[in-house]
Amino acid sequence: MTTVEITGDQLVVTMPGLDPFWALRRRIVVPLAHVRGATPDPGVSRESAGTRAPGTYVPRVITAGTYRKDGELTFWNLRASRQAVVIELTGERFRRLVLGVDDARATAERVERSLTRG
Amino acid sequence: MGRPRSFDEQVAVIRAGDLFAELGYEGASVDDLVRALGIHRGSLYSAFGSKRALYLRVLRGHVEALEDAATDADLTLLLRAAVERAPVDEEAATLVRRGLAALEDGLPPGPGSTLAQLLGDHLIRRATGATPTRETT
Repeated sequence: MTTVEITGDQLVVTMPGLDPFWALRRRIVVPLAHVRGATPDPGVSRESAGTRAPGTYVPRVITAGTYRKDGELTFWNLRASRQAVVIELTGERFRRLVLGVDDARATAERVERSLTRG
Repeated sequence: MGRPRSFDEQVAVIRAGDLFAELGYEGASVDDLVRALGIHRGSLYSAFGSKRALYLRVLRGHVEALEDAATDADLTLLLRAAVERAPVDEEAATLVRRGLAALEDGLPPGPGSTLAQLLGDHLIRRATGATPTRETT
């Protein structure tokens, strides 16, 4: 399971266990100033993630790694048993992160509360 | 910034407002929004950042419209926000308070015309489809 934490003014995403093997990353750290928002999105896995670049895809089971779609890079670490949360970024390599967490609604609210929007 | 939007953001915000008024914040999923707004999921996220950011934008627009002219507005979005989001979302709560203040300011002078009555009338109309009858004094 992916964990999403707010540490100071940073968003820290950690892929524990074997997940880094699929996703090819253990940690993603993004300054909160580069986080535009977070949304629970159970339907996101029904759409194509795009082209692997590189990553792991087992239909309906695992979508992990870097994907390219419509010229945008997204990072995925989602498996069927988890709830999807979508974190939108700006000024980062990844346009957005699609992560499988325990409680997508709580995670999204926690991230949203840490943001100050103009 | 970024690619030009291939959709009309104003129209999208209005459609999102209709959807949030109809289904509520939790009730309206990203799938529902994508369908109602007729845009791609990626475009939705790129344009608004998150469902909550879009919701707050919709609610802010609704409240600003009430501040311009409070009469005869559809209050469903405001009432839903008061019940569903204000208790758990400080920004939503601030907007709801502004909306209620605007409604109170727009009340016709004289007794028998209160904010509670206005909101109650709207709720009854929502529930029954009928305008509540009241003895006028």
